[in-house]
Amino acid sequence: MSFLTPLFFLGVAALAAPILVHLVRRTRARRVQFPALIFVRQVPQRTIRRRTLQNVLLLLLRCLAILLIVIAFTRPFFSGGSAARDNNAAGATVILLDNSLSMRREQLFAEAQRRAEGALDDARNDEQVALLSFDKRYTVVNRFTTDKNRVRFNVRSVSAGWDGTDYEQALRGAESLLSEIETSGPKRIVMISDFQMPGWTQAGATFKLANNTQLTTLDVGGNNPPANVAITNVEARGVVFGQKYLDNLVVHVSNFSDVPRDHVQVDFQINDQTVEKRDISLNTRDSRVVEFTGFNLNEGANRCTIDVVSGDFAPDNRYYFTMRRETPAKALIVESASRGRSDSLHLQSALTTNDDLPFSFTLKSAGSVDPAGIPDYALVVLNDTGPLNPALADALTRFVEAGGQMIVSTGPRTQADAFNASLQAIAPAMLREAVQTKAGESVAITDVKFDHPIFQVFQESGRLASANVIGYFRSEPRANAAVLARFEDGSPALLEARAGKGRVLLFTSSLGPSWNDLPLTPLYLPFIHQMVSYAGAREENSWYGLGQTFTVATDKEAQEGLPPPIDTPTGTRLSETRFTPEGDLLITAREPGFYRLRYTKRPDFAAVNIDGAEGDFTKLNFAEFVAGVTGGAGSAEGSAANRNLSNEEVEGRQKVWWSLLLVALLLLLAESFLARRTKVAKMVG
Amino acid sequence: MSTTAVRFLDPELLARIGSLELLARAVVEGFMSGLHRSPYTGFSTEFTEYRQYNAGDDLRYLDWRLLGRTDRYFIKKYRADTNTQCHLLIDTSASMNYAHASSVTKLQYAQYLAASLAYLLNRQQDSVGLVAFAEKVHTHVPARNRTGHMRTIFGNLSLLEAGGETHLAESLHQLAEILTRRGIVVIISDFYDQPERLQEAFQHLRFKGHDLVAFQVLDQNELDFDFTDPVLLLEDAETQEQMPVLPDVVMAGYRERMRRHVEDMRRCAAANNVDYEMLTTKQPLDFALFSFLSRRAGK
Repeated sequence: MSFLTPLFFLGVAALAAPILVHLVRRTRARRVQFPALIFVRQVPQRTIRRRTLQNVLLLLLRCLAILLIVIAFTRPFFSGGSAARDNNAAGATVILLDNSLSMRREQLFAEAQRRAEGALDDARNDEQVALLSFDKRYTVVNRFTTDKNRVRFNVRSVSAGWDGTDYEQALRGAESLLSEIETSGPKRIVMISDFQMPGWTQAGATFKLANNTQLTTLDVGGNNPPANVAITNVEARGVVFGQKYLDNLVVHVSNFSDVPRDHVQVDFQINDQTVEKRDISLNTRDSRVVEFTGFNLNEGANRCTIDVVSGDFAPDNRYYFTMRRETPAKALIVESASRGRSDSLHLQSALTTNDDLPFSFTLKSAGSVDPAGIPDYALVVLNDTGPLNPALADALTRFVEAGGQMIVSTGPRTQADAFNASLQAIAPAMLREAVQTKAGESVAITDVKFDHPIFQVFQESGRLASANVIGYFRSEPRANAAVLARFEDGSPALLEARAGKGRVLLFTSSLGPSWNDLPLTPLYLPFIHQMVSYAGAREENSWYGLGQTFTVATDKEAQEGLPPPIDTPTGTRLSETRFTPEGDLLITAREPGFYRLRYTKRPDFAAVNIDGAEGDFTKLNFAEFVAGVTGGAGSAEGSAANRNLSNEEVEGRQKVWWSLLLVALLLLLAESFLARRTKVAKMVG
Repeated sequence: MSTTAVRFLDPELLARIGSLELLARAVVEGFMSGLHRSPYTGFSTEFTEYRQYNAGDDLRYLDWRLLGRTDRYFIKKYRADTNTQCHLLIDTSASMNYAHASSVTKLQYAQYLAASLAYLLNRQQDSVGLVAFAEKVHTHVPARNRTGHMRTIFGNLSLLEAGGETHLAESLHQLAEILTRRGIVVIISDFYDQPERLQEAFQHLRFKGHDLVAFQVLDQNELDFDFTDPVLLLEDAETQEQMPVLPDVVMAGYRERMRRHVEDMRRCAAANNVDYEMLTTKQPLDFALFSFLSRRAGK
């Protein structure tokens, strides 16, 4: 038991009053000579003894009542609700210090550090204390120790970070640490945070603390979170091949407050130059999409930013991303020599309607292709070429194995045996017999893997089945091949296989109108583009999230063939030493902004952004949170019940003084009743 | 008896009289003068018969009323001619030194009573002796009827002081051996002794032929135990034993026991043909005198 005002114990001196009265009255008994004492002696003594006992009882009642009143004034309390405990055995406490991005606002993190030090002050000298900082991940700053000064130093050394918040993983970390320590005392977690809603959801909660772990929450965020407008996402292509960006650059802006926001300015900049500004309005708890398109990009890497001018929490008012404009690679379309219209007319038309494809195409007949020139291309399309000369076949095989991409389509001119003999090393399948449907009949392309990048665009439309196929080759897929689509009879329509460093896509029907009407359908263009884009494999992220890892390729221009030097957004030089098997450098994004990759030929950039949801400072439901992580111990006042209460608050809740005064009153009533019966007399022993 | 006479017999008033002789005379004369007007009818202890007046007779004994009625001179003849020996036994133990609300202690009252009785007896031509005792007999004035003897009696009476323990029965036994000639033994005491032992002493004295008169003198508070203090430390005057008491608790039991004691004394006296009277120090002495004389007249 502890006492808020222990000085009142001096009032115990008041206990002397009834005792003094008792003693004083003893000495004042009048001495009288009486001759007939012989008859007084004959009166039964038990009455006098009973009075003796009653008087002693009266004295005790009075003393006890005074004592209880004095103790009540000292305002006693049982300190189990605060950090200081009355448990005899020292336990272990883990302090969870929230250093997520939201803690950067105002003076929250300084307050959190102060509360952490307060928790250290409340801990017993022999209590083991550990310190974990957490955002989306937790970091063990200080393992269990009784050296409070060391922990205090480490509390001050922690700084607020940039990442989002995940309370569950923090609690998992704390409990994991507690499970490593053996103690007969209580185990406790003190969580210091602004307790924002994005950090925990009841629906997604999967973790509960052990029954013997006590959770104390210290809320530094207050009950009135500030309003905030934030950019939560940007959808942009990381690589483009044309000067003009023809797609939509999509920007998501959210209002995390209960007040509408008008005239929110959205600025789009490329390489620090303003491209466009928009003025938007946001309703309460509203999200808007702002789109930009038709802007020009320089060659190489372009540093792009989107800003909202809102005047509130700054870190989520800017979004970083890169868009790299690259030169299309050379691609070759090989067709059979023929008179009249080229069989690749539709194919070539499809490939030249969009200048944003990663390739520029050249059409040649199989006989005019110089095998020695194959390596100059990044992509080769064999469009129903028929038997290939051995040199060309061999060149193509080496081309793919060296990393080249190839798309092969069959047709009336394709001979299965020759095909298999020429491309057996790289083809995804062995061609079998050619199938021609009866007149008036056709088969559809079904069983499409819509999750494949080639077919993702068709997932909602499902129009591939509308194409009519009248001729195709049955095929036997190789072991390492993937069937991406089938005809109605189950025969593979589109297969993919890696060969060496390269990749081959095999379409077992024609890419011309000879065996199907696909070129006459609206599906043809996107289908061709998707295959070519997939074969080009030139997609990359326009930005990375904090904590994500990205690779940095080696600098081919450098003599050592090492990755380039890398500067963080704040200008410090990184010294990462993790590499992929291919020799690329692995970087973990820890700061928002542009990482500068100092390649010899031309610098490159990697954009890193914070978690946009971290800008939502709405308080989580404390009752649900505490109940969710403790297994039902929470209530509507869970935050107040579980936060580290001050001694005054604990005493105010327990009101032990009230019980003491009540008991004292009852004792005084009993004393009054007893005294009236015994006429308030004291026996001299 | 006139109010003045009654007031004059009030012990507290008598206490103002410094001389026991004067006090005794005042008491007796006052008592006697009121006898004729007293409510005690039929009382004629002293006057027994008339005889004709002869020259030289004391005119004090002339019956003036009869003269008024008959115009003849007659002298009253009194019983004083019996010449009885009367021994006044005074208990001077420490317990006799008690006075609660009254200013007269039991011993003082006993002195007044003894002095009055001595004067009265002497007036009747009886021999009066005095014995004072506490643990033992410490004062003994043999019974005489000489001139000046009363001065000796009064002088010894006035010198009596309370002290010592009560050994009443032993003293009475002792006296029974000392008093050789039969007479009247008047015992003035608070009689704080066991009745059985007193009975033996009474029997001893009776065996010796004495007529016994016992005056038990008590303070009213010894009967009532009327203390208002919440607590008292009672001290025995004789043994100095102290005893803390709660008067309100003890009162009822004490009164009962005192009542029983007085009753036992009365029974003991009656069983041994002892004239017994219980007096309080508040009571006027006429009552005691009347009681004495009436009992004597009855014998």
